Amino acid sequence: MLSIKNLHASVEGKEILKGINLDVKAGEVHAIMGPNGSGKSTLSQVLAGNEAFDVTDGSITLNGENLLELETEERAREGIFLAFQYPVEIPGVSNLQFLRTAVNAMRTHKGEEEMNAAEFMKLAKEVSKQVDLDPSFLKRGVNEGFSGGEKKRNEIMQALLLQPQLAILDETDSGLDIDALKVVSDGVNALRSDDRAILMVTHYQRLLNHIVPDYVHVLAGGKIIKSGGRELALELEEKGYGWLGIKDEDAATDAAN
Amino acid sequence: MKAAPTLPAAFLHPAGQSLPQPLLELRKQRGTALVDMPLPTRKTENWKYSSKYLKLTDDMGISLPADEKTGSSLAVPGYKVAFLNGVMLPEASEYPDLEGIRIQSFGDLDDDEAARLAERLDSNLDGKAVQLAQLNSARFEDGLFISLAPEAVLDQPLHIVHEVTADASGSAFPRIYVDAGRHSQLTLVEEYISSGTAAVLVNTVTEVEVAEGASVTSIRLNMEGENVQHVGATGVRQQRSSRFESHTVGFGGPLRRHDLQVRLEGEGAECKLNGVVVTQGKQHYDNHTTIEHIAAHCNSEETYRNIAADQSHAVFNGRIHIHQDAQKSNADMNNKNLLLSNGAEIDTKPELEIYADDVKCAHGATIGQLDETSVFYLVSRGIGRRQANVLLTMAFINELVDQIPVESVRETAHTRLNQFFDQTFEEA
Repeated sequence: MLSIKNLHASVEGKEILKGINLDVKAGEVHAIMGPNGSGKSTLSQVLAGNEAFDVTDGSITLNGENLLELETEERAREGIFLAFQYPVEIPGVSNLQFLRTAVNAMRTHKGEEEMNAAEFMKLAKEVSKQVDLDPSFLKRGVNEGFSGGEKKRNEIMQALLLQPQLAILDETDSGLDIDALKVVSDGVNALRSDDRAILMVTHYQRLLNHIVPDYVHVLAGGKIIKSGGRELALELEEKGYGWLGIKDEDAATDAAN
Repeated sequence: MKAAPTLPAAFLHPAGQSLPQPLLELRKQRGTALVDMPLPTRKTENWKYSSKYLKLTDDMGISLPADEKTGSSLAVPGYKVAFLNGVMLPEASEYPDLEGIRIQSFGDLDDDEAARLAERLDSNLDGKAVQLAQLNSARFEDGLFISLAPEAVLDQPLHIVHEVTADASGSAFPRIYVDAGRHSQLTLVEEYISSGTAAVLVNTVTEVEVAEGASVTSIRLNMEGENVQHVGATGVRQQRSSRFESHTVGFGGPLRRHDLQVRLEGEGAECKLNGVVVTQGKQHYDNHTTIEHIAAHCNSEETYRNIAADQSHAVFNGRIHIHQDAQKSNADMNNKNLLLSNGAEIDTKPELEIYADDVKCAHGATIGQLDETSVFYLVSRGIGRRQANVLLTMAFINELVDQIPVESVRETAHTRLNQFFDQTFEEA
C-alpha cells in the first residue's frame, strides 16, 4: 500500500530525513520508535504533505500513485490521515461544522452524496460515544479549550469518521493518562482492518501494549536503523535506545535542532 | 501655506423646499457655516488615513432627483420605510399605527413639531469630530422622525432602506432622528444600497435619544456600490439605566466612513458596539467610534473586526473618554484585524482618555494573517484550500455576525460575505 524509498527531507535547509525505506501493506500495523529528534514527526508531516518540509530525494507512493505530486487535501482524499501530535485549536469553527465539511469533502471526492446536517449529527453522536467524548464537544470550537486527552480523542474520532486507508498516529499516546490511553487505543483498534494500515509514531512502547504492532522500526538520525517484530519494542523498553548504539548526545543535538 | 480645500460650490445650495419652515431655517443657518468649512486633509487627525479617498467634485454637489420611483421592492419582513435619494417614499413603506409610536417623514411634521425637532437636531453629535455632518444639516431634504412614548414597544424591527439612484452624479443626505421615551424599546435596521454607476456622495446623520430605562438596538448595513462615497455619522445620548446596542456590517467602497458617538449621560447606562468590516480590491472603510463615559456606573463594550483583502484599506479608531465624575466605569474595547494579502493595509488606533480614578478599562488590538497551521490542519482532513480559507475567515467574524439580532440581516450579511469570499479566494 505505502512504499517509501530513500526519502530525504529537510526543513529550512537542514536535512532531517536521510534515506528512509519503508513498505507497509494493507492490514498491517507498524510502529516507528525513536528518541526525540530522530525525525519521527518529520516523517509524519512529510507523509501528510506539510509544505514546511522539502522532500529533496526519494519517493513515496500510495497504491502505486506518487504521493509527492499531490496536495495535502488530495492526499487526505486518497486516504492518508494524520492524527496530530498537537491538534490545532480553531475558535469560531465548530467541531461539528469542521467534521461535516471534512466528511463531505471525502464523500464528494468518492462521488457520494453529501450528508445533510441531521444525518451527520446522528453519525457524529455515535462516533463521539465510541471515543467517550460528550456530544457537547461537537458544538464547541475545534479543539477549543479541550484538554490534552480530549484533543487526542477528537483526533481518533476524525479517523473513525473519515475511514482512511493509512492512519498515521503521531505521538497519540503523549499526554494521556491510563484511562484515556485505553479509550484512544480502543478507538485505534476499531480502525484495524484488512484493507487499512496503521503507522504509529511513538517514543514509548506503552501504547504498543494496547495496540499490538506487526512490525517495529527504530528511527535514529533520520534513518531506520533496525526493524523487527513486536519483541523489538519490548527489548527497547528494557535496554533503552543506547543499546542500539544511539548516543544520548545525538538525540540531544537533534532535538535541539 | 496652502489654504485647506473647501466644498465645491455646488454643495452650498440646498434643493428640495418641501420641509416645514423651522427645518428650512435650520438648514439655511447651517449652510452659512459651510462656505468656509475646511475639508479634511491628511493633516486632519481624525481623517489622517482616509482623506485621500474623499474626492468631492462640483458635479457631485447637486442633489440626486427625489421624484423618481424606486424599482426595488423591499423584500424584507416586518416594518419598513423606504427612502430614495434621501426622501421618503410613503407608498413603498409599511409600518404600524401603534399607540405611542410615531414614525413620520420630516415633511409631514407640523410647524410646532418641526420647531421642536429643529432645536434638537445636531445636539447628539460633537460637530468638531464629525465635520461633514454639518453638510447633512445644511442639505437634508427629508428625514425620518421616530418617537416612542414612555413604555412603548415596537414589536418588530423597523427596517429603513436608504437607496440612491446614481444615474448621474450628485448627492443624497439621509437623516434620521429617534426619540425613545422612558422604558421604550426599539430595534432599527439602517440599510444603505445603491443602483447606477455615476460618482455620488451619500452623507448621513442619525441621532438617537435613549431615555431612562429605554433600550434601542441599531443595525447598520452598508452595501452601496463602487461608485458611492459614503460619509455617515451616528450620535447617541443615553440616560439613566438605558441600553444601546449597535451592530455595524460594512462592505468597502471608494470611501466609507462612519462615525459613531455614544454619550453615557445617566448612571447605569450601558452600550454595546459591534462592528464587522470587509474590504477587497482597492476598497476603503473607516470606522471611528467615541464613547463618552460622563456619568458613573456605566458599562461599555466594543468589539470590531476588520478583514482586508487585495490592496484594500481598513481603518478603526476607537476612543473611550472617561470623564472625571464617571467613577466605577467599566469599558472594554477590542479590535482584531485580519490581512488576507500582503498588499492590504489596516490601521487601528485605540484612544483612551481617563480622568476618573476608580474605573476598569481594557483594550486590545491585533493585526494578523490566516494561521498556516490551522490551514494545514483543515486541508489534512481533505477540506479544500479555498474552503479552509473561507472557514477560517468566517471564524474570525462569526461571533459578531451571529449576534446580529435580526435574521434577515444575518442572511443578507452571509450572502454578501459569500460574494466577498468568491472574489477573494480562488477556486482550488
